[in-house]
Amino acid sequence: MAVIAKVWIEPDCITCNACEDICPDVFKVEEDSSMILAAVRADGAYDTNAGAKSPLSGTLGADLADLIIEAAEDCPVEVIKYELAEGATDDAPAPAAEAEADAPAVAVADSAPVAGVSEALAAVMEGDRSLTILFGSQTGNAAGLAERTAKLAANYGLQATVKDMDDASVDSLSTTRLMVITSTWGEGEMPDNAEALWQAASAGGPSLSATHFTVCAIGDTSYDEFCKAGHDWNNRLEAMGAVRVHAMAECDVDYVPPWQAWVSEALSRIACVDASGTFHETLVEEMSAFASSGDDDSIADGDFTPGQVLSEEMSITLRVFRYDPVASSSGFDTVACALPGHATVQDLLVAISNDVDGSLAFRRGNGAGTPTTALRANGRIVLSDVTRLDALVNDGGTLLVEPLPGHPIVKDLIVDASRVERALAAAAPWMRADPREGEVLANGSSMGTMAAVAAEDLHRRFDVHAPEAAHGMSDCTPHDPSYLGPGVLTRLWQRASDPRVGAEQRRSLLRTLQDEGGVWSETDLSAIRRQGQEGRLVAEAMTDARGRLLSEFRFAGRSGRHIKWFSRTVKWSGTLNETILAAQTMGPIGAIMNLPATVRMATGFTRTGAPLARDLQGFVAPGKMPPLVNSLVDDHHEVKAIFDALDRRF
Amino acid sequence: MGLRYAYFPGCVAKGSAREVEDAMRAVVKALDIELVDMPGAACCGAGVMKQANHRLQLTLNARTFAQAEAMGLDVLTPCATCQGNMYEDLALLLDDEKLRAEVNDVLEKTCGVRFEGNLRMRHLLQVLVEDVGLEAVRDHVVNPVDFPVAGYYGVPMLQDGASGDDDPMDPHYFEDLLVAIGSSPVDYDGATRSVGFPGLLGRERTAMLQTAEVLSEAKQEGALVMATACPLSHFNLDVYQVKAKKVSGRDTALPVVHLPELLAFALGMMPDRYAQLRTRALVMGA
Repeated sequence: MAVIAKVWIEPDCITCNACEDICPDVFKVEEDSSMILAAVRADGAYDTNAGAKSPLSGTLGADLADLIIEAAEDCPVEVIKYELAEGATDDAPAPAAEAEADAPAVAVADSAPVAGVSEALAAVMEGDRSLTILFGSQTGNAAGLAERTAKLAANYGLQATVKDMDDASVDSLSTTRLMVITSTWGEGEMPDNAEALWQAASAGGPSLSATHFTVCAIGDTSYDEFCKAGHDWNNRLEAMGAVRVHAMAECDVDYVPPWQAWVSEALSRIACVDASGTFHETLVEEMSAFASSGDDDSIADGDFTPGQVLSEEMSITLRVFRYDPVASSSGFDTVACALPGHATVQDLLVAISNDVDGSLAFRRGNGAGTPTTALRANGRIVLSDVTRLDALVNDGGTLLVEPLPGHPIVKDLIVDASRVERALAAAAPWMRADPREGEVLANGSSMGTMAAVAAEDLHRRFDVHAPEAAHGMSDCTPHDPSYLGPGVLTRLWQRASDPRVGAEQRRSLLRTLQDEGGVWSETDLSAIRRQGQEGRLVAEAMTDARGRLLSEFRFAGRSGRHIKWFSRTVKWSGTLNETILAAQTMGPIGAIMNLPATVRMATGFTRTGAPLARDLQGFVAPGKMPPLVNSLVDDHHEVKAIFDALDRRF
Repeated sequence: MGLRYAYFPGCVAKGSAREVEDAMRAVVKALDIELVDMPGAACCGAGVMKQANHRLQLTLNARTFAQAEAMGLDVLTPCATCQGNMYEDLALLLDDEKLRAEVNDVLEKTCGVRFEGNLRMRHLLQVLVEDVGLEAVRDHVVNPVDFPVAGYYGVPMLQDGASGDDDPMDPHYFEDLLVAIGSSPVDYDGATRSVGFPGLLGRERTAMLQTAEVLSEAKQEGALVMATACPLSHFNLDVYQVKAKKVSGRDTALPVVHLPELLAFALGMMPDRYAQLRTRALVMGA
């Protein structure tokens, strides 16, 4: 039974009255903060008790313990702290760091005897059972493994804390039990989130003689420096004095099986490090048996629910777009919010909807990257059910949440994506293979497999999984109703690139990509490219599609001529000739139609230039108008040689 | 000793926007920056050539990088398109050793040079904020820009890394600089939106609607002048202003200057042109 020795209120109480509702005998909410009533305090004072930390009087600590703990747990800003009486136990986890620090003996996991194990193992499992799992992750794979490892660690009586290396200091390496799970990026580099910690550890850091560790490295054998980041940590930790309890695992692209093989052995061994830092190798087998006797030891696919890497609470100002279709009015609501950084944008919107304004309309997802949750947050196109707040805004900053651009707005953050859906259906991107001789074996099964390179390229292209979001990345979709949009076009190009597609369908797909509404309708791919990894993939797919279309349709259309003459004039002089480019791209009729703009350019009408005579001199000498003939760059023959070596079409 | 950079003005600054060149020379003189010309540098490809042949554009840019590397200097450009495009190619070459080796093979055969990657691409805006420093810029201001200005970044530069230490999705360097030269920056969404310059010749109507949206938004938010960090986008915003109005029906009349021009004016250079701009702002503004 829990007995509370002291209870107090830390700063930042939001006076929500929850504590007083739960336990009015102890808490009284005033204008600025909740208070601890004088009647329950040994010192008889009336304040937050944060300074004096006066004990509770008489038997109140026992009588009201459950209510005080309930109030502390329900406090939305976690400012109610308490300390347990010595010798008492707390059935609920102590919410205050102070409580944990001051009364380590009360934690169940720290002191409870372990049933069904030898005395020696029970002794090892007493006291501090903390395990630090650091991850270095570029794409999230290592972070996912860290979470899964933490979940399994509980079976070994360990209390695991998963830490992003970005949030870890070099001093945090100095711990009793340490597991490092890291991927390798590029040519043997650390993932971005590991770089700072690695630099700090490489430069020095504390002695780790009391630390036992093991490393799991993820890499790709197609690179020369396979798992280099893992090797670097493995060697560096040892150099800093840490003791390796288990050999490093090297995981290839299919990283789960080798991780599974590593994690059970690694946890069995690191769990045999006792609170004093002594490794009991003779108990490893028993520890392994103990862990597998639990109910929760399965690591089969599907068993894992992705956890969260926790981060500090943030105070932010939310500006959320509102649109009322009935009144036809729009604007922004501004709300001050406090949420942990690991909360998603969707969590925030749900909190606003529950606590501030239930009329806020937005689409909810299942927390796994639901395409329909796409919206714009601080300029980025994101899926709100998976995007963390701390990825978008810093503590004290402003988060601007707007509906996904490029779609008609239905209400608030809800858009009508039916245009994309209709365009996808009309474009028919599904695969239609041509029948071919010998396509099946005598037993009826298909023959042949796709070349590995083609399969990899195809899979990479299909990483773009939210056409609605991709549609919103373009700055020109709102201005061109005929434009199918990058989401649909990427799907079409993916299909056109699929070697299994029939020739007729490929021709049809390329024609759709080339025609009005196709890839040439996009006026600026860089606007798409800036939208994170997904944006880069979409922009690259559209660039690749354009390259193919230029060859297929021989630089047809204005856009084709633009690229051809741009490249050609660069080849001729080393620099772009704007005059020739405009004339050749627009053609004589286009040039006449464009005369007003040409005159405007020639006269420098709105510009802050020199006199008109200087503007017009550009036709023969440098001036406002671009020259008709460019001067050659130095060593122009080199430019021409590069063109000749790489592309003779120009 | 002042700052030194290999100078890559970009084709448009050498062609239809020579006022960028005029102003750049004045600005660097006032701020004690030395620009070392690169007379052999070729066009960056502007993301256009890449669509036909990315390896070709990469190799031409690698040649330019090799020239700057031989000087031992970082490259400075006043053009957001050049910056975005060349930064992207530089990052690609640095990240992919195999690609770099193949590009170097061609470079060696055609030009007798190799590129190792010891340089950075810098836009004027980054150099002013990160290298020169806003305090130093403020100290050199002679004619404060005492009217509201809408800064326009140029989307190609607003990519991770290409915008220096500025946040590419929520940049503030331009606004910080405008404050340093005495102006009150206009807060408008269009500052980071595309005006569709790459599609100007191919998809003119769409580009005009995009251009009109940015101009009218800036004007609505109180801008008397727009300053651009991209001579290519400037082309849409300035030369095509009337056409954008005709296509969209929006109010697009707004004086547009290049960032180096506005800076030169603030630093006391070209006072006649500054007077012209102020007059135009008064006549066209509000």
